[in-house]
Amino acid sequence: MRPIRIFKAETFRLAALFALLFLALTGALIGTVLWIVDGTQRSTLITANDADIATVINGFRDEGVHEAIEVVRQRIGTPAIAAKHKHTLDPDAYIVIEDSHGTVLVGNLFAVECHAGVFSVSMPPLLEGRRHRNILGRCVDITDGVSLFVGRDTATLTATHERIVRAFIWVALGTCGFAAIAGLILGRRFMARVDAIAQTCEAIVAGRLTERIPGRGRGDEWDRLARAINEMLDRISALLENLRQMSSDIAHDLRTPLTRLRNRLEDARARSESVQECSAAMSRAIDDTDQLLSIFAALLRISQVESGTRAQTFSSVCLSDLVDNMYQLYLPVAEDCRHALTRDVQDAVYIRGDEELLTQMFSNLIENAIHHTPENSNIHLSLHTSSSQVVVCVRDDGPGVPVDERDKVLRRFYRMAAGRSTDGHGLGLSLVAAIAQLHGAVLRLKDAQPGLRLELTFAKEKPPHK
Amino acid sequence: MRLLLVEDDVELAESLVERFREEGHDVVHVDNGLQGLTVAMRDDFDGIIMDRMLPGMDGLELVKAIRREKSTPIIYLTTMSGIDDRVQGLEAGSDDYLTKPFAFAELLARVRVMTRRSVTPSPTLCAGSIEMDLVQRSVKRRGQAIELLPQEFLLLQYLLRNANRAVTRKMLLENVWGIHFDPHTSVVESHISRLRARLNAGCDIDAIQTVRGIGYRLLAPN
Repeated sequence: MRPIRIFKAETFRLAALFALLFLALTGALIGTVLWIVDGTQRSTLITANDADIATVINGFRDEGVHEAIEVVRQRIGTPAIAAKHKHTLDPDAYIVIEDSHGTVLVGNLFAVECHAGVFSVSMPPLLEGRRHRNILGRCVDITDGVSLFVGRDTATLTATHERIVRAFIWVALGTCGFAAIAGLILGRRFMARVDAIAQTCEAIVAGRLTERIPGRGRGDEWDRLARAINEMLDRISALLENLRQMSSDIAHDLRTPLTRLRNRLEDARARSESVQECSAAMSRAIDDTDQLLSIFAALLRISQVESGTRAQTFSSVCLSDLVDNMYQLYLPVAEDCRHALTRDVQDAVYIRGDEELLTQMFSNLIENAIHHTPENSNIHLSLHTSSSQVVVCVRDDGPGVPVDERDKVLRRFYRMAAGRSTDGHGLGLSLVAAIAQLHGAVLRLKDAQPGLRLELTFAKEKPPHK
Repeated sequence: MRLLLVEDDVELAESLVERFREEGHDVVHVDNGLQGLTVAMRDDFDGIIMDRMLPGMDGLELVKAIRREKSTPIIYLTTMSGIDDRVQGLEAGSDDYLTKPFAFAELLARVRVMTRRSVTPSPTLCAGSIEMDLVQRSVKRRGQAIELLPQEFLLLQYLLRNANRAVTRKMLLENVWGIHFDPHTSVVESHISRLRARLNAGCDIDAIQTVRGIGYRLLAPN
């Protein structure tokens, strides 16, 4: 995989965007936490300071400045003194009592020389190499010229801040790393699928029309997309195949009748001696042309049907009425050709379809049966339903179609040896097959023992409400 | 008859004009849609024959434009043979639709039938000695009731409506059975021969005349 491409991937960009967003949100959260922690710690510190101030001032009120100094001495004294007076020592506490001249009366800090109020003072390190201490405290006047300052080192505050900020940095780094890795992995997978689709498309552009996008069988959105694209490609290639078949049919199979027509005209020119002969030859030539035109019409019709666009205008069709009408239509013809046409049609059976095409389909089937059976044959039309299917049968007791020819008779221009002597162009059953396919019907050729049994199985539709 | 022909194929147009004149009809020919519209609006014709694909103005549009003003019968001549094409053409307002190539006799028969004066709908149809009651669905010839099968009844009804005019096999297939393709058996001939046998029973005059190379004509001698 080329590394630059991945950064252009949508997934990667999304991952980066989310990482940034996450960082910003975490930053805001950390800021809030810092603010709250800082506030809490400061107020704890100030409360402790105020407690110390109160103790010292109590001492002063009881026994004057001397006692105040004594209290401070105890507060900041050695552990031994603290133990004696049952005090706990606070190593962070800095207390100083100073007079108006800035002279320290007692304390563990230099004179702060400040007015009453809350403030911070900076204490230079006592030892070389140690840090500055930042002392937050309050200064109060005990009495005229004597002031008290109590403060505490803010080191713990700073340390907490640093710990929180450090934690934030680690989390941020982790997030970025995770986002980058996730983005790369997802982007790679995304790219791999897109590549598979793009490769297939490129292959098709290059002329390998049978290429399809490999599915992974997971049923995810990629598989759905792949399936949809593959179905589209199948449809397009079926249409292409249809077109190619059509062109080759026209190129090859129309040669025969055209040659016949040409020969006939040539013969007429060479041999006709009288106007009558010439006129007769011309009539035959016109018949040949009509035959050619009907082949064209049939081919066009097949290709129209195979393109599948008629399916959009399907409506509810009463198949019972349709088959019955076909029976009525062909009964006289069958009688004239000395065939017995009978029917057994179930009432009020509906399917979704195209009435005109269905009419043509049954017309072709009945005409086929009439043409390809000897005189005195029986032709039987039947329509029956099961729970969900409609089965229409055209059965005859003629010579039938041998098993190995049953697929072939559906091909365009294919004519069985026995049928070649009769009129027809070998397109009737091709059209039937195309119309059946358009209607999602299954066409089966079976042995009627003797004869042929053509079976069409449709999906049933509920009768329309009237 | 005075006809308007809108056709851009000059060779075909000239031959049609010539053939119609031989039949005693006057034909005005224009070769594009816009001119066709102008002439159709300006003059009165008994019928209009037009190509579906025309320069200047598409045939469908032309029919719609004419139909807003006039009810002159219109027949399409077209190479567009798809099922949808025919439906579209008829929906636009044309009265008939004939696919090229065609036999002149077919066009002539259709134009004659199309341009017949529309008669007020009546519950009975009469031609000579034949009477048809559309409500009772009964047929009589010289007062004698004749039993007909449903499809024979429809066939006779169409013939009666066009009595004394030749109708082609194709017209019968389309109008009686709604079949728009060419069957490879003699469907029409078989039905006609049965109808003829029923009508002629006990009569010496053949009611249905066969017109060679064209089709049939119901005779209604006064």
